[in-house]
Amino acid sequence: MTSRFELTRNITIGQYIPTGSVIHQFEASLKLLSFAILVVGIAICSSYTGNLILLAFSIALFGIARIPIHYGISGIKPALPFMIILSLMQLLFYGQAAQGETTLFQFGFILITTSSVQLVIVSAMRFIEIILVSSVLTLSTSTTEMTHGLEHLLKPLKYIKFPVYEFSLIITIAIRFVPTFAMEMEKLMKAQASRGAEFGTGKWWQIVRKTKDTFPLIIPLFSSAMERAEDLILAMESRCYTPGLKRTSYRQYKIALRDFLLLIITTLFSIFIVFYKFTY
Amino acid sequence: MEKGLSVRRIVIAGVLGAIAILLGVSRLGYIPVPTPAGNATIMHVPAIIGGIIEGPIVGLIIGLIFGVSSFLDATVPLFKDPLVSIFPRLFIGVIAFFVYFGFKRFNEYVAIGAAGFVGSMTNTILVLGMAVIRGYFTLSVALGVAIANGIPEAIVALIVTLAIVTSWKKIGGSIKKKSKISEDI
Repeated sequence: MTSRFELTRNITIGQYIPTGSVIHQFEASLKLLSFAILVVGIAICSSYTGNLILLAFSIALFGIARIPIHYGISGIKPALPFMIILSLMQLLFYGQAAQGETTLFQFGFILITTSSVQLVIVSAMRFIEIILVSSVLTLSTSTTEMTHGLEHLLKPLKYIKFPVYEFSLIITIAIRFVPTFAMEMEKLMKAQASRGAEFGTGKWWQIVRKTKDTFPLIIPLFSSAMERAEDLILAMESRCYTPGLKRTSYRQYKIALRDFLLLIITTLFSIFIVFYKFTY
Repeated sequence: MEKGLSVRRIVIAGVLGAIAILLGVSRLGYIPVPTPAGNATIMHVPAIIGGIIEGPIVGLIIGLIFGVSSFLDATVPLFKDPLVSIFPRLFIGVIAFFVYFGFKRFNEYVAIGAAGFVGSMTNTILVLGMAVIRGYFTLSVALGVAIANGIPEAIVALIVTLAIVTSWKKIGGSIKKKSKISEDI
């Protein structure tokens, strides 16, 4: 019962495991870029062999980063019921869309073809791969490094007048405020519950009621957030923060040769996975 | 309306982005419904509100934060695809702003409500459209989800948006802006 009021415990944003491995030491911007390229590769690759290689690769990443694999698995676990239901739906209803393939099973409107089986298996594997790879990324990069990396990556956009520094400041503010609002939310829940509000007592089919239950939380949360925003605006403006001016930073991040190597290797790997014609 | 990012816009985008992330990670933004999509959501509401009160750029940025966080946090394969989880979300706040802007001269309340409704429908239609294009759903499944999920979602978005924006703007009263410097720079 009490766990319902403990929001802060479940929030893993900014969770960082400092093992000091090679993956931790890569410069954040190129690491992010390599990650993005790899994810695109995973999203396009639709062969069995390619996905098996990618799966092995993403598990190997945990080993290289010296992060215990259960951090990755815990990300997959809550997803399992959804995955199973979605796979079933795809299996039952997708066959119609891809006719002309080898039919494996047909009963009434249910039509299972080789391509629909492939779609189901590949999309499940894709999903697991992306969860694993993105948990390696977030567990091996601190939020400060991440925002710096983002700022670096977006720098070229300055030439088309994209406000890079302001944008990364927005991201920093957003990440900074998540735990604060989680605490605020906890307080709100307790306050409303002590006034007799009932959270989580509605059954799952009482959708309207469950929706109504969220209103006494969401609306005060927004207005207290806006209030905090006003305080922050006042604080920043009275310290003369001016958007668009050049700023210097306290820590300097340098890009070394091995960061480029990481980028080149990931790109080649993704190109190989996408364009190589696997038999299966 | 002034151009670019003022301090006010930076902060509001950041704070509403934080709420979008929080609603996702704490599962409070999800309302479980028995459809293939699994959940109805109110996580796009911050993007709509941002679009209404601070304009399209802020709406776009909050949409981006929401998209990226839902991508990183996804529990269904559908949303582990950046083309489904990030790209469509960019338009929520932008479209909400234009709807609000268009209706504003008739009636403020109608404008806010319409922006909430249309912004939410934008999310539903674009995400499901992308899901069909990428082959996760067939058109008929997507249509079912759009009706079973999309309409209630849009109504909830309408109510929440209206409640928050009217209390924020204090229509007919003074606006709650604390910093008096904002107008000078």
